[in-house]
Amino acid sequence: MAGATESTLVSEDTTETEAVAAGAVGLAAVLFALSLAAMFELVTITDPVAGVPMVALLGGLLVLLGLAVIGFGVGSRLGYVATNPRPTAGLVASAAFALIWFVVGGLVASQTLGLGTAGWVVASLVTGGVGFAVSALPREDIGSTLPAGALAAFAGLVFLTGVIGPSWVWDLGWEQQASFNAEFTIPVLTGFCSLLVGWAAAKAYGGFGARGRHIGAYVLVYLNALSIIAVLFLLVAFTVLKGLPGLFNGFAFGAGAGPEVTLVGVTFSLPLSWPFVMNGVALLNDVNGVLPAIAGTIWLVIGAVLFAVPLGVGAAVFITEYADRGRFTQVVEIATNGLWSTPSIVFGLFGLAFLVPRLGNQKSLLAGMLTLGFMLLPLVVITSRESMLAVPDEYRDASAALGVTKWQTIRSIVLPAALPGIITGIILGVGRIAGETAPILLTMSGSVAPPGSQTVDVLGGFQFQSAPPFVTNPELMQATSALPYQLYSLITAGVGQSSNIGAIDEFRWATALILLVVVLGFYAVGIATRYYFRSKLQHE
Amino acid sequence: MSETRQTADDAQATTDSEPGGASPGTGQPLEVTSGETRERTREEWVEHEFEGEAKLSVSDLDVYYGDDHALKGVSMEIPENSVTALIGPSGCGKSTFLRCLNRMNDRIKAARIDGSVQLEGEEIYQEGVNLVELRKRVGMVFQSPNPFPKSIADNISYGPRKHGDLDTGLLANLLGRSDDDAVDELVEHSLRQAALWDEVQDRLDDNALGLSGGQQQRLCIARALATDPEVLLMDEPASALDPIATSKIEDLVHDLAEEYTVVIVTHNMQQAARISDQTAVFLTGGELVEYGDTDQVFEDPQSQRVEDYISGKFG
Ligand SMILES: Nc1ncnc2c1ncn2[C@@H]1O[C@H](COP(=O)(O)OP(=O)(O)OP(=O)(O)O)[C@@H](O)[C@H]1O
Ligand SMILES: [Mg+2]
Repeated sequence: MAGATESTLVSEDTTETEAVAAGAVGLAAVLFALSLAAMFELVTITDPVAGVPMVALLGGLLVLLGLAVIGFGVGSRLGYVATNPRPTAGLVASAAFALIWFVVGGLVASQTLGLGTAGWVVASLVTGGVGFAVSALPREDIGSTLPAGALAAFAGLVFLTGVIGPSWVWDLGWEQQASFNAEFTIPVLTGFCSLLVGWAAAKAYGGFGARGRHIGAYVLVYLNALSIIAVLFLLVAFTVLKGLPGLFNGFAFGAGAGPEVTLVGVTFSLPLSWPFVMNGVALLNDVNGVLPAIAGTIWLVIGAVLFAVPLGVGAAVFITEYADRGRFTQVVEIATNGLWSTPSIVFGLFGLAFLVPRLGNQKSLLAGMLTLGFMLLPLVVITSRESMLAVPDEYRDASAALGVTKWQTIRSIVLPAALPGIITGIILGVGRIAGETAPILLTMSGSVAPPGSQTVDVLGGFQFQSAPPFVTNPELMQATSALPYQLYSLITAGVGQSSNIGAIDEFRWATALILLVVVLGFYAVGIATRYYFRSKLQHE
Repeated sequence: MSETRQTADDAQATTDSEPGGASPGTGQPLEVTSGETRERTREEWVEHEFEGEAKLSVSDLDVYYGDDHALKGVSMEIPENSVTALIGPSGCGKSTFLRCLNRMNDRIKAARIDGSVQLEGEEIYQEGVNLVELRKRVGMVFQSPNPFPKSIADNISYGPRKHGDLDTGLLANLLGRSDDDAVDELVEHSLRQAALWDEVQDRLDDNALGLSGGQQQRLCIARALATDPEVLLMDEPASALDPIATSKIEDLVHDLAEEYTVVIVTHNMQQAARISDQTAVFLTGGELVEYGDTDQVFEDPQSQRVEDYISGKFG
């Protein structure tokens, strides 16, 4: 019987068909990458590639791939290719194909042919039914290649014939004037179809059956993961590219290039001048900068972490190690989870209504730190508790059996073992609070574009006195800015208010880039710490 | 009392026949068959006469895990400076009994303990017992090795440091009172005792989780020794060891008995016979069936079931 080869323990050398199938998978991957690139406008769909417009190239490749995939299926069914297909492609695949073809039929009937509601419903049902039947009824090799290949070939033809060309627009006819244009539609369709044929080709490569399904799933998962990473990378790259010009405006490097500083009584010029991170905003500045906001963000995060981590870890130690499991711990758990999902503006309002009046009745860095600390607290409690629960009881038993007290056990065994998890929690939390705008707006914000003189200097701000409270720090009580807030206010302030700042767009992107760098810097510190503590717990 | 001990030959015939059946030819009903039996334990089987003081005396100890009655009315006296072996089939309550001796069962939520255990005449199951102090005096080696995720040296020095016997903290270092040398000495001594020193002396700062199962087992023995307890409870300390390491551990146990009281669980009869002064046999159901001088228990057991167990007929 066709395809009914003996399953062998050791695969033979790659056959020709396998090579072709692998080529098809590769081509689908390339097509997928192209569609991603087109989506982010790295390539334009009208640009000619080797004399052919991009749309035509995409269409041609889709047709080619679609036919190739159908060819594999039919070849396998007729016995030209040795495979191990199952009797059917399976319910999930069939349902997916039914849905896809239902949509295709409906769109073609209603948009291209202009049929009324009854018309397109019937057409949809027919194409959906055919899609289902073709994938569910025949053997797996036909069932999983034919509907996928046909779709790709169809989409390719639509592009090739110009039914959906570069100037195509689908006006949805809504009040909001929503419409799909070709720049968006063509990449999306291409990406989708290439995933589908890539999957089918991968199944063919694996000879269908269990191995084919494994490889098909692998290709899908792999392409998805790659695309997610690619999107992340693009996002960062986009910010970096947009931000770099503003960031390095007036940057100079060399002996005596920078401003003069006095350290331990010695005055010297820094060998580096970087106005964007060394200046504030002032009329007389050649290049304006965001130094106050950088300092504000960094101190904000440090303050919030210093406030939240000891409290949070302490609370977690209590509810995990000391409190009996029961109603009380359950309530605490639910409450902390709820607090973590509370919107930040609510925390901001709490800070404004509760903290600000008690801290000198003005917005201040300290109020911002505490507000963000309260935001961070639940996450620290949750992750600390989880990672302490994950510490095996054997360690606690072993320690108890050595005659060591509970507190010493917690300090020397449980906490070190839980530390990597706790740090992960802090990293996640810092990522959130460092980018928070609303609470800062309500509790800490000063002027929209603070001058360099408003940079907080927390360390230098401590003042000692003989009367209580002995130590004061006016810097902490000052209103100041932070990067996300500055970005927000620059965007909302409009041109008038920020006329001091020359190229406002450059300035904004550079601010965004600095924010990204600061947050990633905190990440790097956190990850390095975690790595250090984890390596102490593990053996290589 | 209807049960009488049968001769070895009778017993042989017994176990060959069907459980509860009659001996062919005689028609005499037989009492003893396989593990399940109608034999009743007798008080005098668990009486053990010895000279000197009892280090631990257990009386009428019952342990329940929820509804599960895991130990039934166990009473025994464990003499000072000796080795006591606990043997018995899997699941008969040996580990449970051992955990009662340093109140580690308190840590199991489901466990309920009735009865009395006295350490040098002092009741350990009473109000106001300092568990930390108790466990310092009664150390334990667990059935499954459980080293801390720390370096080998830190594992050993952990107990003494937390007890405050050794101080290697930053402050001690600054004040020049650090016990670093004493720590090194203790680590080496304990590891040598547990026959592990030669294998690990070059990697004392490596993580203990990187040791093999048998090495971890010996590390746990060394860790327990380092805290210098008076009583050492060992739950199958040689289960994962090769014959050479096993014999070293046996020598260690033998040496320890000069100053310490060792209670050791083992599944290895020969080992029990070799190293122990007295042996307690637990049988299925959580009963202490026989307890006495090791030679007597192995050569001339009073209980038929114990004899069957020792000769490998069940369990
Ligand atoms: N933590 C526990 N919770 C509930 N039941 C337990 C627990 N520990 C032991 N038991 C039960 O108590 C009985 C005795 O167990 P124990 O561990 O003392 O046996 P053992 O003699 O040490 O066996 P082995 O030789 O296999 O180690 C068993 O039936 C077991 O199921
Ligand atoms: Mg056990």
